[in-house]
Amino acid sequence: MDQAIAALSFKGVGKTYRRSHLGRTYLSRGVEGLDLDIARGEAFGLLGLNGSGKTTTFKLALGLLRPTMGEVSTLGLPPFSPQALSRVGFLPELPYFYPFLTPEESLIFYGRLSGLDPAGLKRRVAEALELVGLSSHSRRRIAELSKGTVQRLGLAQAVIHDPELIILDEPVSGLDPLAIRDFRDMLQRLSDRGKTLVISSHSISELEKLCHRVGILKDGRLARLLTQQDWRSAPGGLEDLFVETVK
Amino acid sequence: MSRLFVLAVNAWQENLRGRFFLLSFFFGLILLYVSLLLGILAADQELRVLVDFGLALIEIIGLAGALFGACTALLREIENKTIYLVLSRPVRRWELLVGRFLGLMLSAWAAMAVMGLFHLALLFLKGWSWENAYLWAWLGSCAKVWVTASLGLFLSLFSSSVMTAGAIAAILWTLGHFLPEMRALIARSPDQAAALPMQLLSLVIPDLQCLNLRDKIAASSFDQAWLGLGYAALYSLVWTGLSVWLLKRKEF
Repeated sequence: MDQAIAALSFKGVGKTYRRSHLGRTYLSRGVEGLDLDIARGEAFGLLGLNGSGKTTTFKLALGLLRPTMGEVSTLGLPPFSPQALSRVGFLPELPYFYPFLTPEESLIFYGRLSGLDPAGLKRRVAEALELVGLSSHSRRRIAELSKGTVQRLGLAQAVIHDPELIILDEPVSGLDPLAIRDFRDMLQRLSDRGKTLVISSHSISELEKLCHRVGILKDGRLARLLTQQDWRSAPGGLEDLFVETVK
Repeated sequence: MSRLFVLAVNAWQENLRGRFFLLSFFFGLILLYVSLLLGILAADQELRVLVDFGLALIEIIGLAGALFGACTALLREIENKTIYLVLSRPVRRWELLVGRFLGLMLSAWAAMAVMGLFHLALLFLKGWSWENAYLWAWLGSCAKVWVTASLGLFLSLFSSSVMTAGAIAAILWTLGHFLPEMRALIARSPDQAAALPMQLLSLVIPDLQCLNLRDKIAASSFDQAWLGLGYAALYSLVWTGLSVWLLKRKEF
């Protein structure tokens, strides 16, 4: 693994959405002029108001969207390449699963899609269920699970193949305080194991506790890049710095 | 190849555990029972009516299930956002599309096979004796379902509504049974320029008449029957290929 290659790299990246309706084309900006390098092993937070471009940034990193301009690379590779995607885990905001499967079946399905060999798959499924505390729910149908439990399963599917880079879009959205603390502990353990975490969240205090650096997006542009030192030395912490930037 | 297989198995599980296939299966059983009553009404031709009506029902029910499945296969993945968890892995888009379509078709054909077995049991009870033409007729129905579902899959990729894609595919399925008549009318049209849109349409519409394999077997045209199956495979592969091309261009 070449540590010199960034886990995620955006160089002058822009994404404009085109939507056509009744013969008219409407353009809207997702991100613009995004220059950002995220180092391997780093826990990086993305903050921004709704519509600021956080999800667009993640989708560009995963090859779900193509940039209108600029260049994106994921682990030094084109983001849509199978070689890059096999080393990336993704937890979308409010993950959706096939309701007819159980958590265990879902993890087997996603593990196989990630290229895990059948011999190691069973062990990885058990480990992932253990990590997120879902071992006792492994054979219930997903349709019967609570939102917090589904979110835990979301994290389990993101780490089932032991990826180097884990992208989490609003991982604690809608969770109760106890679940949030559990989630933070799980993410901290992953970070301690050297995984690169890229997290977007509206929960500033969570990013403050977990991240080494935080980027603030405003209207699709990276308005500010902050280090732990910046928010620890600021009287109002990260929250005041965020409000000051987006106002 | 293994990812394709994993996706096909997932689609198979979804269809077998889904209510729609279960309902269509029971619906088929009930309708086959009704065909018994119809057979009684056509006292002289009871067996013939039973065979024809049963085979037609198997095709229509199989078609309804497969068409609904094809039109929702990717639309539902997109609407439910389950597609994010698949495409954020090393899965190529063609693998997703072909895998899901393969699983769908295997489950549709399995449902048609079960209905066929039930139908055969009824026929044997009525004293019918086996004819190879029955198998050919069943194969022809499976081929028609495959052809129409591949069209439905393609239509679903540029339509935002399952209903629209399904309705257009169902119209093309209906027109497909009259394609030779349509071609004859075009040929007899005095104004060929005015007939051009119809000519273009006739290139898109599947020729389902050539998949009435029982007629061909009855006329001992085995070559024609195999040709029909080859045509169905080629037609479906072309539309599936076009669907892959469309899916590759999509952003999520």
